Amino acid sequence: MNDFLINLENVLQALSAGLLLGGIYGLMCVGLGIIFGVMRVINFGQGDLMMVGMYCAFYLFTTLGIGNFLGAEVGAIVAALLTGPIMYVFGLLLHRFLVSRVTGVRVAGLEGEGHYAQLILTLGMALILANGGLLLFGSTPVSIKSSLSSSAWEVGPFVGEFVSIFVNKARGIALVVSLAVAAALYFFITRSRLGKSLRAAADNPEAAIYMGIDVDKAHRMAFGIGTAVTAVAGGLVASYYPFQPYVGLEFVIVMYAGVVLGGLGSIIGAFWGGMIIGLVQQLATLVLPTQLQNTAVFVVFLLVVFLRPQGLFGVNVTRA
Amino acid sequence: MLELDDVHVAYGGLKALAGVSVKVGAGDFVSIIGPNGAGKTTLFKCISGIVAPVQGTIRFDGQDLTKVPAADRPHLGIAHVPEGRQVFPNLSVLENLEMGAWTYAGRRDWTDNLEYILGLFPVLASRRDQLAGTLSGGEQQMVAIGRGLASSPRLLMLDEPSMGLAPTIVDSIFERIVEIRRDKKLTVLLVEQRAVEALQSCDRGYVLETGRVVLEGGHEELLSDDRVRKAYLGI
Repeated sequence: MNDFLINLENVLQALSAGLLLGGIYGLMCVGLGIIFGVMRVINFGQGDLMMVGMYCAFYLFTTLGIGNFLGAEVGAIVAALLTGPIMYVFGLLLHRFLVSRVTGVRVAGLEGEGHYAQLILTLGMALILANGGLLLFGSTPVSIKSSLSSSAWEVGPFVGEFVSIFVNKARGIALVVSLAVAAALYFFITRSRLGKSLRAAADNPEAAIYMGIDVDKAHRMAFGIGTAVTAVAGGLVASYYPFQPYVGLEFVIVMYAGVVLGGLGSIIGAFWGGMIIGLVQQLATLVLPTQLQNTAVFVVFLLVVFLRPQGLFGVNVTRA
Repeated sequence: MLELDDVHVAYGGLKALAGVSVKVGAGDFVSIIGPNGAGKTTLFKCISGIVAPVQGTIRFDGQDLTKVPAADRPHLGIAHVPEGRQVFPNLSVLENLEMGAWTYAGRRDWTDNLEYILGLFPVLASRRDQLAGTLSGGEQQMVAIGRGLASSPRLLMLDEPSMGLAPTIVDSIFERIVEIRRDKKLTVLLVEQRAVEALQSCDRGYVLETGRVVLEGGHEELLSDDRVRKAYLGI
């Protein structure tokens, strides 16, 4: 095996790791993106909502016995997916009792359209969730253990008996599930009547009311979906990544970068923004020391913001 | 059908409407004319529920509208085509019309309504998959009116459909409005700065100035009124 083949294998391996990571980041970003896109609310608590989702999946898997009942492999996936509806309801309640007080029709016309209050509320929510998590769950990292996270599929060899890439099974499955959830959400938003009404409420809340669309309800639904989607992504991450109550902070930066990269307000853009971040993080390890992974992400981020401020998928349609 | 009695609206300390009473009977075409800042748009927002009156009653088919949440009013049969068109810019033309059909009645009549709307404004048919934000002003006005019609309304409220449009387009929009009223037997409430067009097509009219009705009457009566002729018709 010569140098070229070794390099080729490294590149392919980094590429596949990037795709696996990017798919999950993409799903997280979609959750944040839909909340921002519909409600124009910057939710600093998104990372911590994801953390709650991770623990939700963890306890479904362990305490509620889904892991024993369905077997560790299937159980891990089912636990992550079940997190969705549970966290949807959690999101609805958060919106009903907290977020709706500083967003939507109620704050239209206020100074800064209520952004200051939103910032403080979501940041406070993040702190309470993270520290509440510390009280409830403790600081010892946990993860959903199954044989999947410690075994891999071998793809290849491509050249003779050389150059193969190894795909961690847990990450591979997480990617597939994440793509499926993102695609389902995409069809919901673009094709279904309800999804279109969410976009209408985002585009022009006042006109949406003239159509008979209950904008407050649309916002609540968007917040619920956004929470659920990010939580499912968290549940999937939990199947291969040990986490503790402060895990949200590690991911919320990635989510923000991804959403802005893709173009604020674009839900597809959010997915691809997350994907790009995953790819850059992993490909950067080929040429840079691992500590500089995130530096590479932000260099790309700055480049995009500099060259295309509306983001990769951002549209600049003038408001009528 | 629609009855406003002594409606007062204030924005902060500023009185936008000071005791306005307007009556629209079933099948009527009523125009409200008046200068900028007279409170015409506020009056419409009051009927739609975006702005709450501080005093006075609004009844629609005898029902007290002020007790009905804004988002429920379209379901009663009130379509509001807002000032400045306010189409959904990132939704396609067809999706805009679909949102108009959000009401129960609109959903039921969707196929017929769509056919009627595209027949009325054929240019929309060729642009049905285009984002509404990329259309010209006149086309957006067509989308806005079409969106209103898609809800299968009984009362169609039009707020300055001529705003910012070229004169020839304004003419064709007014022709369409008359046509819609004839075909659909709709009740129409029109707010306009262009007094000539508005008064010519209506049955009855109101003149609104600084939040008060200063004059009302049949269309002949208003067209021949000296004050109206001087102030609004420039004769």
